[in-house]
Amino acid sequence: MATRTVEVAIGVPGLSAERAVTWPKRTKAHLSNGLEVVLAEAHSIPKFHGELFFRSGNAAVADRAPGLAEMTATVVRTGTVKRASRQIEEDLRRIGADLSSNAGADTSAISFSGLSEFAEPLLGLVNELAREAAFPEAEFERERRQKLEEVKLERTQPGFLASERLRKVLFGAHPYAQVSPSEEQVAAYKREDLQKVYRDVHTPENGLLLLVGDFDSQAMMQNVEKVFGAWTGKKWETKTAASPAHPRGRRVYLVHVPGAVQTQILAGCHAITRKNPDWVKVGLTNSLYGGAFNSRLVMNIREDKGYTYSPRSGVHALRQHGYFSVSAAVRNDVVAASLTEIFYEMDKLRSLPVPEPELADAQNYLSGVFSMGLATQDGLLSQLSTVALNELPDDYLETYRAKVRAITPDELLATARKYLDSANMQIVVVGDRAQIESQAALFGELEVYNAQGKHIS
Amino acid sequence: MKRLQVGIESTTLANGLKVVIAPDTTAPVVTVGVYYKIGFRLEPQGRSGFAHLFEHMMFQGSANAPKMQHIKLINSSGGVLNGSTSYDVTNYYEAVPSNALERVLWLEADRMRALKVDDENLKNQRDVVKEEVRVNVMNQPYGGFPWLDMPPVAFRNWANAHNFYGDFADLDAADLKDVQAFFKTYYVPNNAVLLVLGDVKAEEGIALANKHFADIPAGAPPPFADPSEPEQNEERCGNVEEKFGTLPAMAIGYVMPKRRTADWCAMALLDQALHGGRAGRLHRELVLEKQIAVEADGGIDDIFGYNGPTQMTTRILHKPEYSSDAALTAFDVVIREVQQNGISVDELEQLKVKWRSDYYATLEGGRGGYMPKYGLMHLLACFTLFDNEPQLVNTILDGFLAVTREEIQAAAKKYLRNEKRAIVFRTPVNAGAKEAA
Repeated sequence: MATRTVEVAIGVPGLSAERAVTWPKRTKAHLSNGLEVVLAEAHSIPKFHGELFFRSGNAAVADRAPGLAEMTATVVRTGTVKRASRQIEEDLRRIGADLSSNAGADTSAISFSGLSEFAEPLLGLVNELAREAAFPEAEFERERRQKLEEVKLERTQPGFLASERLRKVLFGAHPYAQVSPSEEQVAAYKREDLQKVYRDVHTPENGLLLLVGDFDSQAMMQNVEKVFGAWTGKKWETKTAASPAHPRGRRVYLVHVPGAVQTQILAGCHAITRKNPDWVKVGLTNSLYGGAFNSRLVMNIREDKGYTYSPRSGVHALRQHGYFSVSAAVRNDVVAASLTEIFYEMDKLRSLPVPEPELADAQNYLSGVFSMGLATQDGLLSQLSTVALNELPDDYLETYRAKVRAITPDELLATARKYLDSANMQIVVVGDRAQIESQAALFGELEVYNAQGKHIS
Repeated sequence: MKRLQVGIESTTLANGLKVVIAPDTTAPVVTVGVYYKIGFRLEPQGRSGFAHLFEHMMFQGSANAPKMQHIKLINSSGGVLNGSTSYDVTNYYEAVPSNALERVLWLEADRMRALKVDDENLKNQRDVVKEEVRVNVMNQPYGGFPWLDMPPVAFRNWANAHNFYGDFADLDAADLKDVQAFFKTYYVPNNAVLLVLGDVKAEEGIALANKHFADIPAGAPPPFADPSEPEQNEERCGNVEEKFGTLPAMAIGYVMPKRRTADWCAMALLDQALHGGRAGRLHRELVLEKQIAVEADGGIDDIFGYNGPTQMTTRILHKPEYSSDAALTAFDVVIREVQQNGISVDELEQLKVKWRSDYYATLEGGRGGYMPKYGLMHLLACFTLFDNEPQLVNTILDGFLAVTREEIQAAAKKYLRNEKRAIVFRTPVNAGAKEAA
């Protein structure tokens, strides 16, 4: 099929002089108990956003049970020694606050936002949840039953089934292979296990408190000192799991969902963490490939061929390892055609230098979007947390745009060759086996699983 | 109590285009929106899903910016863009570094002036839209529930009751003539508002709006079908099959009062009392206390953004060991309780503080971190198109903060009546998660 000629726009106004991007001053402190604190003022609305991180998540306790840190975080908000569940929820509403407690692979976190006028009571509640969670028996039982229904439900979602399979394939015996516990594992959770995780993880030395919003930093720091200063606890030393082997050669994993009217494609390979000096280059490569609306993959399989609505690629940085992935939910009859284009665009980036104007466009995109984080309190919080959690240099935000703009076509080509590991991509397809197996099998040796994760052929 | 005041300048160009500027130099970012007062409610009969398909076509090329150029020019300026179709408006929006403001306005003006698309573009986007419907509805557990399942059960007027995403046969039937006719009818400057928010001076924004939009000719005032519903006097029920999920689900929708009335404000706070997260009465009673449901949430969808019949809707996924009757009875207990006893002074105070806090959050963001001021843009657009009063963004809060306990109880009695509601059951076809061979 012929690709249509791309025409150019006529009479487009140029860009005017750029206004300087000025990141707000960060006020940092280590309290005497070891809690790291980062504050930044942002006065857009009379509110503030915060996050209390602990540098241990599901991976750190995976040897006890998968998803245990997440379950712990869930039960944390259901009661403290001072307040029952209902009281917590009403007190939050009374001060106009939102709060969530959850855990990912590498961190546990209490995230919150509320009106500046009620900063003190909100910090007080966060402190209480971090130090005095009571794990009421009835609440634990209820949350566990609730979790059982959730883990059943997620097995009916194509996106979940795809990412679960890809993580297993990429990470093998490493804790990052587990994205969610099984029903049996949830059923086996014990309240004491959660309490032990809570005690191990929730210590000031393991913590990082970020606050962004409409406050005076000096006054807020005094507030933080007053609320969290008396907390004690040592950093918990965890052992690092052995690095997973990188799968070699393309293989295909089909997750069979009878009656699926569409196929979820997800392919991935190992990449890098945020600390790696190549991170910015990989980000730009991804942006050209499938990380932006204007990227090559989106233009190809959506805007030219109409195979899919929302194709995208991304680099996912976990603390110890990162991976690159590309996804698209496509019509059942174009699974092979879509994979062909996915690899065509990948191989093209690996073979030919990116033309200078296209590179400049992508550099503008990445640096512009990066600065959007300045415009909202939670956008800024998310940038600050990336810097702090990954222990990036203090001037990371200030120097990022210059780093993006310094990348050359040759560097990009080398980056694509190194990290868009086309020959070793692991391909997951979630859909109706009868309709897609023969198409998928064209791309590598094929294994078939059911939605429960069982290998069926 | 610190109140947020948004500085606003607004004007109407000679061609009828309304322009609203809300300067704020917090970040060197500017958000631009163009809202057209046409959504899927009033799309042509026999062309279900057309308003949304048309929205896709607006990215397919205009007189001076051919296909792919819109997206390329915004992304390469360091910005993001999108569009969305809802009941009564369709929007197109961009957030860019402020040095790209004029380029964005040029692009928006170019596509308001003349759409330039062909059959191949239409076929391409029809395919894309079908995959959108599959990924969001047909291939997802509880996809489209209840926003697509409820209208045909609850409403009698085609405008409110049809499939908003579109029957595939209707999408297939749409041709280029439909595209150009829809464009000519509804996408006229006198049926739109341009919004510029963020790093822009008011006079600069208005001057640029004039420069790029003033010469677009006004169109005939668009015809609008009457979306009103006949009075509902009986409970309405429907059933839909759930293909993937294994939990029985139901949605209960009550007809809402007219917007910007005292009853509407009372219903908004009542909605918070019922659906306000983990503190909300329905979640507390059905999920936390009785533990019948796994999810019990919902509310008034986009309360500021509709301009026709709508509902307050509760969505419940419940455990299979409870019957639908049992789940509905538990729901009714919560409704009866608030009808009989109203809410306490303390609860009302909590609701108001939370409402104010949520309102500020909406103004600042509203679509995650990537679209600053989306919420402010949306509210200003709706208050301009529906009420011709963008300043409402600074005063609308007063009505909610003035609601009394008596008004909430009265609203519960008046609007949460069985004969004013519709119920949709979404029933799993295989409740046991059996694995087919």
